[in-house]
Amino acid sequence: MTPRRDARSLQRRARRGPFGVLLATVMLTVGAALCGCAASSGTVPGCGDPLRLAIIAQSVPSASYLPCISGLAPGWNTSGFNPTQDGTSFLLNSDRSPGHPVTVRLAATCNASGASPSPSRAPGVLTYTRLDSISPRFAGTLYDVFPGGCVSYGFDFAPGSQIALVEQFEDAVGLYSRQQLRLILKQKLGVELNP
Amino acid sequence: MTTLPTPRPGHEGSEVPPLITASPGGRRRRPAGEPPPLPRHIDHSIRWYLALTGIAGALWAAMSVPPVLGLITRADLAVLHAVAAVRTAWLTRLMLDVNALASPWTVRLLAFGTIAVLVAYRRFQHLAAYLVIFLAAVLLLSAMTREIGRMRPTGIEILGPWQGYAQPSLPVATLTLALVGVLYTLMPAGRWRNRGKWAAGIILAAVCAARLYLAVDHPTDQLTALIIGWPLAVVAFWLAVPNDVFPVSYRGGRKAHLDIGGRRGAAIVTALDHQLGLTVIGVEPFGLEASAGSTPLRIRVPGPGGGETTLFGKLYALNHLRSDRWYKLARTVIYGRLEDEKPFSTVRRLVEYEDHMLRLMRDAGLPTPRPYGFAEITPEREYLIVMEFFEGSQEIRDALVDDRVIDDALRVVRRMWDAGIAHRDIKPSNILVRDGHVLLIDVAFAAVRPTPWRQAVDLANMMLTLALSSTPEHVYERALGVFAADDVAEAFAACRSITVPSQSRSLIGTDGRDLIGCFRQLAPPRRPISIQLWNIKRVAVTAGLLAALAVAVALFGAYLSVAGLL
Repeated sequence: MTPRRDARSLQRRARRGPFGVLLATVMLTVGAALCGCAASSGTVPGCGDPLRLAIIAQSVPSASYLPCISGLAPGWNTSGFNPTQDGTSFLLNSDRSPGHPVTVRLAATCNASGASPSPSRAPGVLTYTRLDSISPRFAGTLYDVFPGGCVSYGFDFAPGSQIALVEQFEDAVGLYSRQQLRLILKQKLGVELNP
Repeated sequence: MTTLPTPRPGHEGSEVPPLITASPGGRRRRPAGEPPPLPRHIDHSIRWYLALTGIAGALWAAMSVPPVLGLITRADLAVLHAVAAVRTAWLTRLMLDVNALASPWTVRLLAFGTIAVLVAYRRFQHLAAYLVIFLAAVLLLSAMTREIGRMRPTGIEILGPWQGYAQPSLPVATLTLALVGVLYTLMPAGRWRNRGKWAAGIILAAVCAARLYLAVDHPTDQLTALIIGWPLAVVAFWLAVPNDVFPVSYRGGRKAHLDIGGRRGAAIVTALDHQLGLTVIGVEPFGLEASAGSTPLRIRVPGPGGGETTLFGKLYALNHLRSDRWYKLARTVIYGRLEDEKPFSTVRRLVEYEDHMLRLMRDAGLPTPRPYGFAEITPEREYLIVMEFFEGSQEIRDALVDDRVIDDALRVVRRMWDAGIAHRDIKPSNILVRDGHVLLIDVAFAAVRPTPWRQAVDLANMMLTLALSSTPEHVYERALGVFAADDVAEAFAACRSITVPSQSRSLIGTDGRDLIGCFRQLAPPRRPISIQLWNIKRVAVTAGLLAALAVAVALFGAYLSVAGLL
């Protein structure tokens, strides 16, 4: 740094006090909170981004299908993406159902007892629906069961727009084949997806 | 009534008096482009840390290219496979235990502990820096984690718990951040901090080794995490709370004092030589226990005839300026603004003001130290004001206070009244006695054309100081030789507990006599002069501070959530 620039930077520093640093903290906190950039939050990988899907595959090594975002209808977004060694969960939020996101979870097993069969969403996938209530709220769980794993979708909508909302979240979440992911990882990174 | 010698015409105080010998080289103007005596110094370690940060950036950029990512991943996996070759049941149990050190609870414990200690020791500058650096680093790490979206090690069994994407390793990074926070905000620089670095290094090495053994992270996940958590954080702390300005110290006494050894010591000698023409023989701290607003120094320079003369210096820096601001804000809230107490905007203004007051009071014939000007150590950041050192003087508490001293002290107040000046900090430690004459020091708070109330308070504080070494009756009697009885009555009508400096208050309390009550009884009766303690500004400032406190609590909750500490 040249002396002149040094002096200028010192002058700037001289004007800055603990208020400036605290203001920066406040702005960062508020900004991060508003944009949802908290340490624990995150967006869900899309079905067109297989390299990011690998972490979901690793969370349930037996699952033959992996949930991914195939396309979000207007007014929808994702949050709380949380892959761990016990499974993956995330939230689907709709501006038409504020405070009541759809909770999506990939696990090795599901308890779909009491659920009724629904049209299958992918080859080799059995889909079930269990309604817990219709009124005053339309609430229940949808299950996609496949070899080695299961995706559950917990929903809780206000009556009136529930049919459209269920259709939209079903369309939003796609199922990506582990076999296809294995091939892509081998091809692009030269690594094996275990097992 | 004035008996002090009339000052010579002209600016007596601005001349370099003959009691010191000027530097042989004389004063020297710093040419444009030449660094100041104490330029901001970038350590070699900081340069290395910045270079390491560049490596992290390069790695992240490389990982956005799939073939390069594949290459890095294969190299990482080769290391992990080699480590996995030594896996045994007992070692796995041990590594799982070691890996528990990187749990969020460890980080929370360290972070909350650090915050609590910083609050307890009122190191708010460090606290603010800690909060913003921790938050910024966590946000950067989270953003990069999402952006890169790297999978966990594959083709190898993962033995430990994990959460989220792998690159950079968040548990390693946050643990590193928490440890670096402890090191750079709680540990004094030097031996203790160096020991702490070794301890932190051992902890991090153990955690990283355990996580590699368990195949939870790739080696490069840990590398970038360590770079963000250590070098980048250290650079940020160096920028926000440089140790030479905001040292971490647990020694007793004031925290505002600067270390005058090393580069700063050399810079002081250079600055005094070049800017004030003084050849410095020695500089040492002096009277630190009595000073909170600056670092007082005793400066030895050559005197006439080959002897030595001592000068007094006060080193002002940014932290002193900030202390002054907080002090004045606190006074506004606790007492209400007694009179104009606006904080100084820069260190330069603070020093300029004191130098100006020294010259003004000297010109008014007041027995204050002769000013020698001030030197710039670091532009806008550190300045050293130099003045006469009252060699052979004693603090008035330690001196014989006879009629001569009492009269002289009262005449000093009289002269200040006549000159339209108030000292505003008349207390025993600021009144010295030499050869029966009173000398006045520490004029930094003095004001020109003060309120009549403040002038009356100066008289009351001087009489209280004198009465501590005498009796109120005797001091009152002598005061009537310099002031009218009504002046004394006004002084004690204006006197309140809050107008008496804390040192005098403490000494009066120890003394046990009701000195203020005695003076009021002796002086003609006068109704107390009301002080407007509650005004709109004080109400507004207090309400604003309470509101800010409530907002701060709410923001702190949001902060903990965003920083992942909840």
